[in-house]
Amino acid sequence: MENNTIPISNLQLAFSVLLVLITGGISSFLKLGLLKSLVWGTVRTFVQLTLVGYALTYIFQINSPALIALIVTVMCYIASRTASGRTPNVPGYPMAMSFAALLASTYIVGLIVTVLIISPQPWYSPRIVIPIFGMILGNSMNGIAISLDRLYGEARSRSAEIEAMLTFGATPWEAARSSVREAVRAGMIPTINSLMVVGLVSLPGMMTGQILGGADPREAVRYQIVVMLMIATAVAIGCLMLVGFSYRKLFNGDGSLQPFVLQSRK
Amino acid sequence: MLFSFNDIDYSIGTDRVLKSPLSGGLNAGEVLVVRGASGSGKSTLLRVLSRLQAGIGGEAFLEDVSWSMISGPLWRADVHYLAQKAALFDGTVAQNLAKPFEARITGGRRVFDSARARELMDQLLLDENMWDRDARTLSGGEASRLAFVRSLLVEPRVLLLDEPTAALDEKSREAFYVVLSRWIVQNSRGALLVSHNEDYNRLSGSIHFLDLENRRGGL
Repeated sequence: MENNTIPISNLQLAFSVLLVLITGGISSFLKLGLLKSLVWGTVRTFVQLTLVGYALTYIFQINSPALIALIVTVMCYIASRTASGRTPNVPGYPMAMSFAALLASTYIVGLIVTVLIISPQPWYSPRIVIPIFGMILGNSMNGIAISLDRLYGEARSRSAEIEAMLTFGATPWEAARSSVREAVRAGMIPTINSLMVVGLVSLPGMMTGQILGGADPREAVRYQIVVMLMIATAVAIGCLMLVGFSYRKLFNGDGSLQPFVLQSRK
Repeated sequence: MLFSFNDIDYSIGTDRVLKSPLSGGLNAGEVLVVRGASGSGKSTLLRVLSRLQAGIGGEAFLEDVSWSMISGPLWRADVHYLAQKAALFDGTVAQNLAKPFEARITGGRRVFDSARARELMDQLLLDENMWDRDARTLSGGEASRLAFVRSLLVEPRVLLLDEPTAALDEKSREAFYVVLSRWIVQNSRGALLVSHNEDYNRLSGSIHFLDLENRRGGL
């Protein structure tokens, strides 16, 4: 592949800080109180991405499946921490469950895509595997966070109906079924919506990146189609698994609702 | 005995509610009326007895079989709790009445009998035309009678009724007690009834009382 990328020099990169000055100007003019976060965010963007750039260069050279698997697993860990940390309805949610759901959905879909669809030589080429797995993960992370939050929200607002079903001898699954369905649906809707409007409203980041990097747009589009479909699948699997693991936690061992579902949100 | 319980104790949060653990029981065809001031834990007693929430001690028996021998769902279907505030599902009145039979335990015992449902609704002064109405549009009194019909249709062994007539007017109260008395006697069932007023005098048949004493004193 010939490289048509226009390189960005250090000076040019420094100019991009001008953009931060504009954002900072708006923030201080309106007293948004975001200046500190903005500066810190900018520094982190520079540092994190620079480090990742070096790390990826190193990883691409080493080309070891074990190292790649380790990296993907660490990525899953970070994503699951974020997913369980940002669900207001679910205080203290065990991270292990979101970790398991993300790990499984990412590996299942990621391996299908890299081994069967893109099939680079060797199939574990980090240049393909890491971005692909990263994209899957970023999207399923949001999906499972939404469905987890929705599951608990639904259970709280429908606790009287869930209990009514329990009084008719319903098992936890029978009583929570409609909340489970709503939760999986909620997690999948953003992805399904993006399948509808892709290319019309938004040019996805990956495709944009490839085009900026000099790739033929028609080639970039083919990649993007694969990426969109794999994301939808991964989100569906991740939401289903996580909600499937989690709904049982709304109930105690005897199959009745846990007290926290019936109490106000803390 | 149809239903009995020994040394039942429970707490609300970390607060223990009862002065001393509770025991009681009833034979087929009987009603046990639970009396006590607001906050004395009457509703909680019913919830604990139907295993909707865990108590901190005690044991209950259905026909002399300990609740430890019976699974939660099975127990709850037989020792059925009817909440004070009717919990209706999305859908029509008819769909609400049929919904319990979606649970495998209830659906496995009997099928939804719409003729019987209409008969009970009629006895409880619920309009026949209500059948296809959206259940969410019912008034408080209609909703609580509908929930009562729904509970009778699944034929539990013991009904735990939490102030079932609170939302009812005089005429439907009368009808409620007629239907309840008949159901208990004809089918050899039993009921625990939490009540604030002395309406329970309208029950025909044998009534016993359980008076709850609050830890904070007073009856």
